[in-house]
Amino acid sequence: MHDGMMLEIKGLSVGYRQPKGEVPALRDVSFAVPRSGTCALIGPSGCGKSTLLYVLSGLLKDFGGQVIVDGAPVTSLRRQTALILQDYGLLPWKKVYDNVALGLEIRGVAKDEQRERIRRVLTEVGLWEMHDRYPSQLSGGQRQRTGIARALAMQPDLLLMDEPFSSLDALTREHLQGLLLDIWNSKRITVVLVTHSIEEAIFLGQKIVVLSGHPGQVIDVVENPRVGQKGYRKTTEYHILTSQLRDKLEQVGTVLNLPG
Amino acid sequence: MRERMYVNTFWASVSIVLLLVAWHLLAVLLDKEALPGPVSSFTAFFRELPGELWGHFWISSYRVAASLLISLVLAVPCGMIMGREEKVDRLAAPMIYVIYPVPKIVFLPVLMALLGLGDVSKIALITLVVFFQILVPIRDASRSINPAVVNSIRSLGAGRWHLYKHVVWPAVLPEMLTALRIASGTAIAILFISETISSQEGLGYFLLDAWSRYSYHDMFAGIIALSLLGFVIYMALDGLERYLCPWKYV
Ligand SMILES: Nc1ncnc2c1ncn2[C@@H]1O[C@H](COP(=O)(O)OP(=O)(O)OP(=O)(O)O)[C@@H](O)[C@H]1O
Ligand SMILES: [Mg+2]
Repeated sequence: MHDGMMLEIKGLSVGYRQPKGEVPALRDVSFAVPRSGTCALIGPSGCGKSTLLYVLSGLLKDFGGQVIVDGAPVTSLRRQTALILQDYGLLPWKKVYDNVALGLEIRGVAKDEQRERIRRVLTEVGLWEMHDRYPSQLSGGQRQRTGIARALAMQPDLLLMDEPFSSLDALTREHLQGLLLDIWNSKRITVVLVTHSIEEAIFLGQKIVVLSGHPGQVIDVVENPRVGQKGYRKTTEYHILTSQLRDKLEQVGTVLNLPG
Repeated sequence: MRERMYVNTFWASVSIVLLLVAWHLLAVLLDKEALPGPVSSFTAFFRELPGELWGHFWISSYRVAASLLISLVLAVPCGMIMGREEKVDRLAAPMIYVIYPVPKIVFLPVLMALLGLGDVSKIALITLVVFFQILVPIRDASRSINPAVVNSIRSLGAGRWHLYKHVVWPAVLPEMLTALRIASGTAIAILFISETISSQEGLGYFLLDAWSRYSYHDMFAGIIALSLLGFVIYMALDGLERYLCPWKYV
């Protein structure tokens, strides 16, 4: 299994059980992401993007349809899948170092190897100097980088990110998007990220899955093969795709708040 | 850091001096035997301390400390589990709600009949009160942990044990210390009452005895000892918080 699909989703439906009956969150969602590819999920608030990530990570097991990760149906958590949630990943009572160590600690990785890996990933995201700080002493961007470092420390082959950069200012966001591309380029991890931003979806997603709301359904899958090429943001193709995607989202009556 | 400590100590001293001055003025103004001033009360305190008072102080401290410790050891794990495990909570919560509002002092006769008149029945009574005062807030704190935090830690492969160790326990720690602060006041009140009922030892006994002898200086010496006990507990909890929750002090 070297080439082929990292992720295959066929006819995925998810409902949340509520006192008043089942609330559908996703209906008949199908798409696939090739190994070492990137995929951006975009759609209106509440359309089930986070839910989809929970299913892919193995945290949410109660779903209909088929979800195949690396050739095997997801039945539970998978060792090489890393999930980064927007704001809540870091534990405020643990220093940066220990937050990054947490996954390794839980999986019983030997201390020596932990130390070596943590130093490496924190250096990679440019945060080694901050390893002795608590999350409350970091900026938003530094916190998000710590979350990325924690995921990388697990040496994943599938990285799931839920709106990783949406709470950051524009400059920091672009910087971290670049960092993510660098990491993806050097490690060839499969990346699936949820985003609210059309620009971000086009800058980072080789495949852009557009979802509609209530319940979430796939409207379109846009191929975007030039992701990762130098200066992509400045090309005409990038801008054309941006307005096409915006049209598509407007057509389905999806109002997105677009950061500048 | 050190500088702040000096500043804190300075203001603590000012605050206590103000309190003593107010007490003194009140005593002078009222001019009643039942309210001696701080000077004569402290004289009595230091006169009695090497003798009888120290023994009573020691016994009362030991009773309160033991009860707080036992309640903590029992209530914290119970509260954490009730907050996280729905099935356990569904069974246990009704019991808690039925017992919680009953003033536990009513169980003193039962406890004395079962456990005797000594330390054990008093410690049991205080524990009974404090247990609930710690259990309920810990349960609520453990229940209200953000599910996103739990999920992100579970996605790292954390099982139950890891969740309790890395998430639930540190998350309820600040709540535990707050609950303990409140509970320590209640504990001293309950201790006092239990020591005034068929008892020969403890600050409660010392106070009641002084009162029955109309020795108001001695009574206030006992009151000073009680407040000292509360103060020591408060300081200890403060130190404990600094030690256990360093992330709150950065
Ligand atoms: N634990 C839950 N219990 C019940 N319903 C839920 C739960 N989580 C999500 N839902 C519902 O499922 C739908 C999809 O939620 P989800 O969080 O996946 O949306 P989202 O696309 O990530 O939204 P956003 O962009 O605002 O983050 C929503 O209608 C939401 O109300
Ligand atoms: Mg979401």
